[in-house]
Amino acid sequence: MNKNRFPSLFQTGPQKIFFFFLLMQCQGLGWAQTPQMSENNSCLLCHADMQEDMKGSIHAQQGIFCNRCHGGDPAQPTKELAKAPGTGYIGSPNKQQIAEMCGTCHANVEVMNFYGIRTDQLAQYKTSMHGKKLFEGDTNVAVCSDCHGEHDILPVGDPGSSVYPLNIPKTCNRCHGNEKLMSQYKLPADIFKTYQHSVHGKALLEEKDLSAASCISCHGYHGAVPPGARDVGTTCGKCHMNEKKYFLESVHAGISAQGKFSECISCHGNHGVQPASKALYDQACVRCHSADTPEAKRGGEIHQMLDEAEEKLRSATILVKQASIEGFFVEPEMAALEAAKTNVIAMAPLQHTLLPERISELHKKVVSAAADIARSIHQKQQFLRWRKLSLIPMWVFIAMMISTLWIKYRQLHSRSREKQDEKKKRS
Amino acid sequence: MIKRWIKSWFAERYDVDQIEEAVKGQLEKPLPKNISWFHTLGSMSLFLFVSQVLTGILLLVYYRPTVHDAFESVKFITTTAYMGWLFRQIHAWGANLMIVVVFLHMLRTYITGSYKKPRELTWVLGAALFFITLVFGFTGYLLPWNQLAYWATTVGTEIAGAVPYVGNFVKTLLRGGVAVGGETISRFFVVHVIVLPWVLFFIIVVHLFLVRYQGIATMDPVSPGREPKLKEGVPFFPDHVLKEGIVFFILIGILVTLSVLRPFDLGEKADPLQTPFAIKPEWYFLPMYQMIKYFPKLIGIFITSLGPLLLILLPFLDRGKERNPLKRPISITLGVIGLLLLIGLGMLGALSETKKNFFGKTYEFNIYGIPHAFPSTGETQAKIQPPPSLS
Repeated sequence: MNKNRFPSLFQTGPQKIFFFFLLMQCQGLGWAQTPQMSENNSCLLCHADMQEDMKGSIHAQQGIFCNRCHGGDPAQPTKELAKAPGTGYIGSPNKQQIAEMCGTCHANVEVMNFYGIRTDQLAQYKTSMHGKKLFEGDTNVAVCSDCHGEHDILPVGDPGSSVYPLNIPKTCNRCHGNEKLMSQYKLPADIFKTYQHSVHGKALLEEKDLSAASCISCHGYHGAVPPGARDVGTTCGKCHMNEKKYFLESVHAGISAQGKFSECISCHGNHGVQPASKALYDQACVRCHSADTPEAKRGGEIHQMLDEAEEKLRSATILVKQASIEGFFVEPEMAALEAAKTNVIAMAPLQHTLLPERISELHKKVVSAAADIARSIHQKQQFLRWRKLSLIPMWVFIAMMISTLWIKYRQLHSRSREKQDEKKKRS
Repeated sequence: MIKRWIKSWFAERYDVDQIEEAVKGQLEKPLPKNISWFHTLGSMSLFLFVSQVLTGILLLVYYRPTVHDAFESVKFITTTAYMGWLFRQIHAWGANLMIVVVFLHMLRTYITGSYKKPRELTWVLGAALFFITLVFGFTGYLLPWNQLAYWATTVGTEIAGAVPYVGNFVKTLLRGGVAVGGETISRFFVVHVIVLPWVLFFIIVVHLFLVRYQGIATMDPVSPGREPKLKEGVPFFPDHVLKEGIVFFILIGILVTLSVLRPFDLGEKADPLQTPFAIKPEWYFLPMYQMIKYFPKLIGIFITSLGPLLLILLPFLDRGKERNPLKRPISITLGVIGLLLLIGLGMLGALSETKKNFFGKTYEFNIYGIPHAFPSTGETQAKIQPPPSLS
């Protein structure tokens, strides 16, 4: 028996690798002790109130303390020695310093590599409207700490973070909702209010749908810039890929490339975008085309096809549902219904081609599927009616057979009685 | 000409006259004068068995006993196969009617005291036929592999598993593993289509032989020695056969009508991960199922197993000479109590864990079948409302 069993566990190569990774995992799970903030940190002797702010921050968890941003030597026992020349003490950094200071780590691949965090934020920021203005000397613009916080920075994935997807609109609104500040840049200050009531705003803020578009989805985050007329389609097309694809086949694509037509927002609007409705054919087209022009009529034609397809799908759905309640087996019809539904859904992006002949292909499929479903359900109902009706001749036949047998039985019965009576008389 | 030729062909090889005489003897065998319409129930049980075999063979053409295919194949039979819906419905309704008819046949035998000497063995075999019919129902119920079937079988086999000493073995034997699955469906299928039909067939043969050999019981008291042979009476053919013909047509009409107007729903495919609310066995097991609820598990199983035992041993326990029900007050009273108990427990079982409306009020029945007034929506909302001081 091997008495020295445990040491042997670490003797082979693969086992050594396994235990190395196990240790690494344990650290990741928080088994390893993180350095205590108060240990050798004389800053907290005076700034004890900062300890609470820092405690939950991602930086404190990673052992990054005051001196990394503010300079100084926290190992010194007195305030004077800690802030003495040569310690790199800078006190409260200004906005430009903040951007550069964050960049010392966040733009350093060697540091960030292990956290899997991108290192182009500073470079992006410098291309953004915020960054450009800042380095031009405008200190009103947002820098890292304005969005991410200062001492209490949380990871982006933490719901408490100011840059968590659900919190982004409110964070941007801290400045972009400030009328006084925005008036300096001739920007509207009511964007958040408009966005709040938009289809994206409702999805994000009311339904907590993290996939819904917020400010950064269109404007970018570290490299935030307002998209130009030509870029809007690309921005919207990041999520609405099919709409974008089909729009490029439309007659509007050409004038959009020339910058004369803002592809999506011309019809749908921007911050206050509402759920796409067929009513746009009546409202948006006439903004450029008079109602009696062939272009407006083409819009009307598409509108009619969409209406009809939706109506056919709706009535087919009701029919199948009703048949299912009545106990019919409607699995094939439900499959056909799904196919029709897919086509109706596909018509939504396809309508951006503004080509009635393309849309009519799907329209015909939906109409034909709805007719097939109705026919199939009708056949089943007819068959059941036939089954029930066939019970009538069956019971007529049974009644005839029973009557015949009964008559025969009565005859035999009376004959046997007569025989019995005769016997009695004889006896 | 052809008839004569055929007759002479057989006459040269067999003793046709003797065979003719035997057949004639059986056909014209006199039946007692007390033979009634209720005496046709035995033949109707036989007819239903034949119907089950024939429709079962038709179902076997398409049915596939695997977890993956069972439900789909039954769905195919019901929706696509030519007249498959009718065969399946006749088979399903036939199974239910067979239990009713066999039970009524036993009830008639009990009331007329026909189980008494010298027909004890005929009764025992009849009781065995009734139990086999129930097992037919239990094994066949799983085969469509739908949710109800799956969970009813899970509960059923779990009850079998509670029997002391042998329970676990029996449960594993039935399931073919720890849970109801592919092995169970395979076992139940083999038992349902191979084992039980042949066992039932041979018991029917012996049962019928005894019935024909001993004849139908009269209402006369039990004879001290061997029962004298009946010399005169109603001839089996054509008198009684005509009656059976009439009942046969009525039964076939009921069977088809129920199949068309009240078809059995296939439901949803079995899902071992989704337990439906209030799982119950088929109606014919409800009295037994309900009885078990009122007692600790082992006592419940012991009491419910007493029923079948008493039924089998009945002719040996009731040794009274009288057959006339009016002269057997104790037997008839016990029979009525037993019948009421079955109906009552069955109804409680059906009502348990349901909500029903009576006179405009909703009642919720607990697992014991005891009703509790269910608060109306308004009352529920009133209960949820916070006290005025907080609102």
